[in-house]
Amino acid sequence: MGEDKILKGLHDAIMNYDSEAAVSASKAAIAAKVDPLMAIQKGLVPAIEEIGDKFEKMEIYLPELMLAAEAMKASLALLLPLIPKGSKGTKATVIIGTVQGDVHEIGKNIVSSMLMAGGFNVIDLGVDVKTINFIEEARKADAKIIGASALMSSTIGSQKDIVDYLVSSGDRKKHAVLVGGGPTTKEWAKEIGADACGMTAVEAVKLATKFAKGR
Amino acid sequence: MVQILDVMDKALNGKPMSESDYQLKLFAPKVQEKVREHKIKYDPNNPIPSDNSMADELFEAGMELLLDVGAYCTSSGRVISYTEAEIKNALKEAPSKLHFGEGRDRKSLVKRNIEDKTPPWCLLGAGGGACSSDKSFLTLVEGYAEIPETNAITTPAITRVGGMRVRPASPLEVLAAMRNAVLAREACNRVGRQGIPIMNSLATAESDIALAAAVHPKFGMRQSDGYMICCMDPMKVDFARLNKVAVALSLGGSIGMCFGPLLGGYAGGPEGTAVSNVAHHMMGILTYQSSWLLPFTIHLRHVASSPRDMLWVISSMGQAISRNTHLLSLNLNYTTAGPCTPMCLYETSASVTAAVVSGLSIESLGVATNKHEDRTTPVEPRISAEVGHAVAGMKRSDANELVKKLLGKYESKLNSPPSGCPSSLKHRRFAKPCKPLHWFSQQ
Repeated sequence: MGEDKILKGLHDAIMNYDSEAAVSASKAAIAAKVDPLMAIQKGLVPAIEEIGDKFEKMEIYLPELMLAAEAMKASLALLLPLIPKGSKGTKATVIIGTVQGDVHEIGKNIVSSMLMAGGFNVIDLGVDVKTINFIEEARKADAKIIGASALMSSTIGSQKDIVDYLVSSGDRKKHAVLVGGGPTTKEWAKEIGADACGMTAVEAVKLATKFAKGR
Repeated sequence: MVQILDVMDKALNGKPMSESDYQLKLFAPKVQEKVREHKIKYDPNNPIPSDNSMADELFEAGMELLLDVGAYCTSSGRVISYTEAEIKNALKEAPSKLHFGEGRDRKSLVKRNIEDKTPPWCLLGAGGGACSSDKSFLTLVEGYAEIPETNAITTPAITRVGGMRVRPASPLEVLAAMRNAVLAREACNRVGRQGIPIMNSLATAESDIALAAAVHPKFGMRQSDGYMICCMDPMKVDFARLNKVAVALSLGGSIGMCFGPLLGGYAGGPEGTAVSNVAHHMMGILTYQSSWLLPFTIHLRHVASSPRDMLWVISSMGQAISRNTHLLSLNLNYTTAGPCTPMCLYETSASVTAAVVSGLSIESLGVATNKHEDRTTPVEPRISAEVGHAVAGMKRSDANELVKKLLGKYESKLNSPPSGCPSSLKHRRFAKPCKPLHWFSQQ
């Protein structure tokens, strides 16, 4: 199979929200000895960027965005390990989750998918994530960024706990803390000592890019 | 009749499925299937449609959706399925009239029809908006209780106790929820409306333990209040929410399930969101044992109920429910613009009109997307209620022209709405209406 056809296969798998096709196309790329970095940058990334644009314009909706992100993740799981260390595969690792006591996930899922679309390695811890779990997972993955989502005015206090814990444990400089969700504002982020607040998913990706190399 | 133990039995023994598969591989495609099969079509030229046959198709689509996907219990990882007979029986057994409040403030929430002259039930206040101090909580609720059209109060949520920020499911939340109950009742007492019901009991109690603790009668909560329990989108429940159901049932309180399928979320565009809303009504009376319903569907991008496609969703869903059931349903609206701005008043007027002429009652409201602490006043709920009373009985076709005119005033500004003014004492009483209210009255 020619290189162009393989890259098109990767592109189409994402555009069709098809994880199985993404895995097949990735295996075909590996078998044909296509440079994995090129497979990502010329096959997957343009497709997932297109998906992100369509979602922003509401030409597609949340299920399509999430399925495309899942397909991207399935493909990256095969291609990323083949890229030599030091090459530019993904931008940075982001630990993301909805804070302790809060089970709302839609906003977090959108940001998670958009970050993936933006080339980040996203570790999504789900909802009702304990403060200590955010921090332990960030340590384990050497993540530069912790993204903490909260939807309720009664739960955003848990975002402060993440920042406070990092300060108390002397690890504040190691991880940028980005907050977001219904009641969070830039003023709130400043008040609790978070690095920034993403008011939209697009802004969240811009902020993650800003902090990709650390604080 | 499906009861709480039946719900638990189904939650423990239903079909196992991952949450992701339920949302993305069952719910989302089934919604689109129903939209196609029933030929549901959004018409941007008619945000308030007058098509009875489409309303009936929408109702059928919603019922079929519930039959096909049921509800999902995140605690057990299983699907809670219902038979057609169970759904139809629940619809039949659901009340068409409920009493809330006490003494001279005891009123009846009744079923409304499309273009009904009966004024909507007006559940007025902050819709759970964040409030930083006891003083501002009291003053706001006093203001809400003084609105002549207020049938029931929707309080703000308290964010601080003893100077500390509330933490979920902690003693801080339990104490804040207790404080919410005490202060809400005290505020109503202060303005002579001792019997008025609190119908978002309790805004500050996100966790089950906080609700269970704060509904103790010594904090002032009554059987005649309304007990609001929020559903997770789409069609999801967990044991914590079912705990709240069990607690409210034990008090003999009337449960209202609130649910907010996002336009642009799992149900897709306006057509799917309308189908999802209809299905949620029926899911609520079964899974959450609701006797009244509170849809607050909002737009994913604008986080409000005032965009054109959202008005269509509110109206279509309302018409489907009011033509085919006797369910008691109140639409909660959010605006993009902040308090004391003309745009905020235009937005809430459009949303309220869409709901009321379509057979719904109202909860008003969350202003400035309900995002900011201490950014709410009683002016906006008052205007909402006055609009609700004024448009009761209006024909859908006339209401359609009205909301199109209102859209013309704010639609282009939805991406950059004015934030409005923070709460201040001068906006909380009507003796001194703020400038926008005066301005609005001149239009």
